[in-house]
Amino acid sequence: MSGFRIAATAVDLAQLRDSLQHPGSGGFCSFEGWVRNNNEGREVSGLEYEAYDALAVIEGGKIVDEAMARYGVLAAQCVHRTGNLKLGDLAVWIGVSSAHRDEAFRACRYIIDEIKHRLPIWKKEHYLTGDTAWVACSHTERAHEHEAPHVHHHAHPRPAEDAGAVAAPPFRPDYSRQTRLREVGDAGQAKLAAARVLVIGAGGLGCPVLTYLAGAGVGTLGIVDADRLDASNLHRQTMYDARDIGERKVDLAARRVTALNPTVTVETRTQPLHPGNAAEVFAQYDLVVECTDDLGSRYLSSDAAVLTGTPLILASVYQYEGQLQVVSGKPGDPCLRCLWPDQPAPGVAGSCVESGVLGPVPGVLGTMQANEALKLLLGLPGAATTDLLLVNLLDHAIQRLPVDPSQGCRQHGGCREVARRALEQAQDDTDVDVHFEHLDEAIAAGFRLIDVREPAEIAQRPIDLPSQAVSSGKITEDTSVFAGGRVLLLCASGKRSGHAARLVRGQGARNVYSLAGGLAALRRRPGRAAG
Amino acid sequence: MTTVNLQYYAQMREQAGSSGEKLTTQAGSLRELYDELRTRHGFSLPADALKVAVNTQFSDWSRALDEGDTVVFIPPVAGG
Repeated sequence: MSGFRIAATAVDLAQLRDSLQHPGSGGFCSFEGWVRNNNEGREVSGLEYEAYDALAVIEGGKIVDEAMARYGVLAAQCVHRTGNLKLGDLAVWIGVSSAHRDEAFRACRYIIDEIKHRLPIWKKEHYLTGDTAWVACSHTERAHEHEAPHVHHHAHPRPAEDAGAVAAPPFRPDYSRQTRLREVGDAGQAKLAAARVLVIGAGGLGCPVLTYLAGAGVGTLGIVDADRLDASNLHRQTMYDARDIGERKVDLAARRVTALNPTVTVETRTQPLHPGNAAEVFAQYDLVVECTDDLGSRYLSSDAAVLTGTPLILASVYQYEGQLQVVSGKPGDPCLRCLWPDQPAPGVAGSCVESGVLGPVPGVLGTMQANEALKLLLGLPGAATTDLLLVNLLDHAIQRLPVDPSQGCRQHGGCREVARRALEQAQDDTDVDVHFEHLDEAIAAGFRLIDVREPAEIAQRPIDLPSQAVSSGKITEDTSVFAGGRVLLLCASGKRSGHAARLVRGQGARNVYSLAGGLAALRRRPGRAAG
Repeated sequence: MTTVNLQYYAQMREQAGSSGEKLTTQAGSLRELYDELRTRHGFSLPADALKVAVNTQFSDWSRALDEGDTVVFIPPVAGG
């Protein structure tokens, strides 16, 4: 049964609430949306909701399913009213029951936020003055995404019949503090306005990059990020706040950029670039800034920059220090692979999750990336350096190491050739990662399971299905374990198993796959112990 | 015997427990020096995963050590 329905008449709340009773539930949380008596300073007498029922029911069901899977709750229901509603009437009801209260609150919040964004439901306000206005609530009207998150005051462009109110004057950017610089001037400002910059990753590095580039008036900003905001991001990701937790970072970042400078055009991507599209996407931009915490993305970006001749600004951080490198994309200039030819195995280069990081460290390095980006776009003096910069924020040491291209890819056919081969290889390996919601589906599909986690991890979260344990570090030692049939490697997050699968494939075992997203991406089943 | 100044970055700094040290060594090349340091500090990274610089210039692992050289080991870093 779908957890979502549309109701044309009043809803029996007691019955709905009872339907969420579950023996394993220790908490129940509900949200009710009511019709209130004012909006945007106008007195409202009632509302009218109209829905595209067929689509709303499908999409609403998806939202409830997503919330259940995401937070592992036991039961969830949502009902949205249509038709004429008077003041105080219930417009939407959401109920969630779960083992513990936290996930119930979060799932409830998720459902209402997604519904506001995604459902084809339209609202007409009736005002005391006798007139009416349609107020968009669905994602077909994007304007509401640019207002402060979660403040449901509906600051949309006013419909024509409601134009009596005083409209705010259109925003006029004032770049005088930077155009005053002799090297910038109006000509430089025009260059920025015409520029298209892609920022990959809207995290610790991406926040200052996006903020400064938007403020500077870069005409178009592309943002790539697949993650949702987590509370552990807030100490370093300064564009976001506590109310944003659980939301997609691209949406939050786009909203922030538009709020800061409405004249900037924002293009968002919720999927990471992959070997099949990276070069094509890079070719659409004048400059790319790589701000992820992912080595794979960094190598992919370097390859795409070299192949398309797009300048790329790389940075990464570790605890109290960081590295900065500009890949110019010009023939003869060095790339990332000139320094570190191959991507190291997962776990070799520490991430923020594993190693920790002090908040301002990505702030400083991201700010330096923004500065490099502006230097390149404006053609400022000193913009052409390809040195590797090592920044230590504990002792304030900055080392500048010139990269000698003759010692890098040139020994292997040059950056272009190396990049082309790497992309080809990566594309060849794209079918390595396979998705399953439950492991028994993998077995049903004919896969044999090999658990590449360390023994201690396996003991902590065993999988209750037949599997063989070979830790990822020893995966290439005995290839006989891969003989016959399809083999699925699995680990906690999919990183180690992905790397291991590519290694063994490199040795000729093409029947080896990796569980995408690892055990963390599996769907929990109600009633089963959570992992 | 040669005395060199060593600097460590990222996880190597962590594993060494300091961001640098002065060391007197018999190592004939950077590679030998790194092997010695691996034993001493338990560095987890193989030399192939690292870049090494001497006196602010990237260097080949076979390079010999000179008195007073400043040697920097640089692992790739992923955080962001």
